[in-house]
Amino acid sequence: MEKILEIQHLEKHFGDHVVLKDISFSVEKGDVICIIGSSGSGKSTLLRCINFLEEPTGGEILYHGKNAETACKRTIYNSKVGMVFQSFNLFGNHTVLENCMLGQMQVLKASRADAEKRALTYLQRVGMDAYRAARPAQLSGGQKQRVAIARALCMEPEVLLFDEPTSALDPEMVGEVLNVMQDLASAGMTMLIVTHEMSFARDVASRVLFMDGGVIVEDAPPQQLFSQPKQPRTQEFLKRVLARQL
Amino acid sequence: MNVPSTFFGWVSFLLDRYGQLFLQGTGITLLVALTGTILGFVIGLLVAIVRTVPLPKGPWYRKLPLKLVHFLLNVYIEVFRGTPMIVQSMVIYYGSMMIGLIKRGTPVLPAAILIVSINTGAYMAEIIRGGIISVDKGQKEAATAIGMTHWQAMVHVVLPQAVRNIMPSIGNEFVVNIKDSSVLNVISLNELYFTGKSAAGNYGRYFEAFFVIACIYLVLTFSVTRLLRLLERKMDGKKNYTIYGSQSDSHSSITVNEEEA
Ligand SMILES: Nc1ncnc2c1ncn2[C@@H]1O[C@H](COP(=O)(O)OP(=O)(O)OP(=O)(O)O)[C@@H](O)[C@H]1O
Ligand SMILES: [Mg+2]
Repeated sequence: MEKILEIQHLEKHFGDHVVLKDISFSVEKGDVICIIGSSGSGKSTLLRCINFLEEPTGGEILYHGKNAETACKRTIYNSKVGMVFQSFNLFGNHTVLENCMLGQMQVLKASRADAEKRALTYLQRVGMDAYRAARPAQLSGGQKQRVAIARALCMEPEVLLFDEPTSALDPEMVGEVLNVMQDLASAGMTMLIVTHEMSFARDVASRVLFMDGGVIVEDAPPQQLFSQPKQPRTQEFLKRVLARQL
Repeated sequence: MNVPSTFFGWVSFLLDRYGQLFLQGTGITLLVALTGTILGFVIGLLVAIVRTVPLPKGPWYRKLPLKLVHFLLNVYIEVFRGTPMIVQSMVIYYGSMMIGLIKRGTPVLPAAILIVSINTGAYMAEIIRGGIISVDKGQKEAATAIGMTHWQAMVHVVLPQAVRNIMPSIGNEFVVNIKDSSVLNVISLNELYFTGKSAAGNYGRYFEAFFVIACIYLVLTFSVTRLLRLLERKMDGKKNYTIYGSQSDSHSSITVNEEEA
């Protein structure tokens, strides 16, 4: 399978505080990789390093086999590696439709008409086209997150990074967002998802990475990781978390 | 000449004689305050944007130019916020005369507008910086994450919201400028206070003349405050929005009112 991203010996420290240590794994086309781990283990930092919202302090990220920092312009790379945030981060001064058009027009230099057409296509896909004229402040959390997903999809990314996309949602809205993500997964979208939703990881992921203390402790398919975790740290984490969920 | 004997008599006497002059003074005051606020806003915006440009990566000598610019901008802000505008007027006006930039007898209006603009710019830079900080930085990150540049994110996402958030402070600066442009009488700008002083001096009726002037200032500031409120409400956009289509009828639409929703 074609490798889109290869993370090689990635390191990140904030001052003396080492947050990521020697992280290596690759993302192939069509992969749905869920990243699990306890709070503070470096999951968000890992995603943020992959799209350079944080500058890695060591290691390398390869994009289609070439160094991501030199292979193409940062803005083009960022448009190809999309991100969905825990707190939605919709543009408050734009309508739902404009949120989905802005990047296309500014970054991809699409015409207004084309941008609008594509925006409506993806808004429809997440079931939010009816709200195209609304402003972010007028939407529920689940609706905001679905718009945020559509906004990312409008850039036609090769990989989508999700940082706990449902953690800021009321329980009854978690389902609508997970459903959209599940649809994307079945449509073959390549995704890297930090999540605390263990049942989602078990059912949808093609691989699960367990992180602890800034390292990837275990990297395995979900059946294996959830039923026969090899590492004691994974076993302990799962025992703690699964007691509450599933 | 029959001179008035009562307070109201003097007021109407002065209005009769100097009404035209007061009107002119009001015009100058408004002109200086308005252009000074707008130019000051532009200066403040540029300064604030430059101050948000992230330092380039690499060795120290690549960071130096921007650091130097940041330092100079800080000096500008400190100096103009740390000295009274009346003193700045004297220094700038007589300074430019000394180096031959302007001559005795050239109109003072451009100099006056310049002084107010630079002074306002120093305050605006800080106000706008506050406005930029007030916009959740997640939105800037989201813009970066879809590939927008720093400038695109600033222009299309951050600044419009920053400016909306600081509209009350911008309006405040305008009101302050209407009042504080009176200090420009020290360089003989014929603004409202200056015309009041001339009128009062001629008959020695300081109380009556400045009572009239005070009323004019109050009318100005009060109407400007109201107008800015209206503008703010306009900037907030529509309070309602339309939901298009439904499962049964894709052409239907309903309008939702925010207060009800
Ligand atoms: N900008 C920063 N400056 C300094 N330290 C940081 C910064 N961002 C993150 N950290 C530290 O890095 C560590 C990992 O943080 P990170 O947010 O990646 O964890 P996480 O696994 O996403 O946790 P959570 O599940 O709570 O979101 C934490 O100890 C945090 O304090
Ligand atoms: Mg996190």
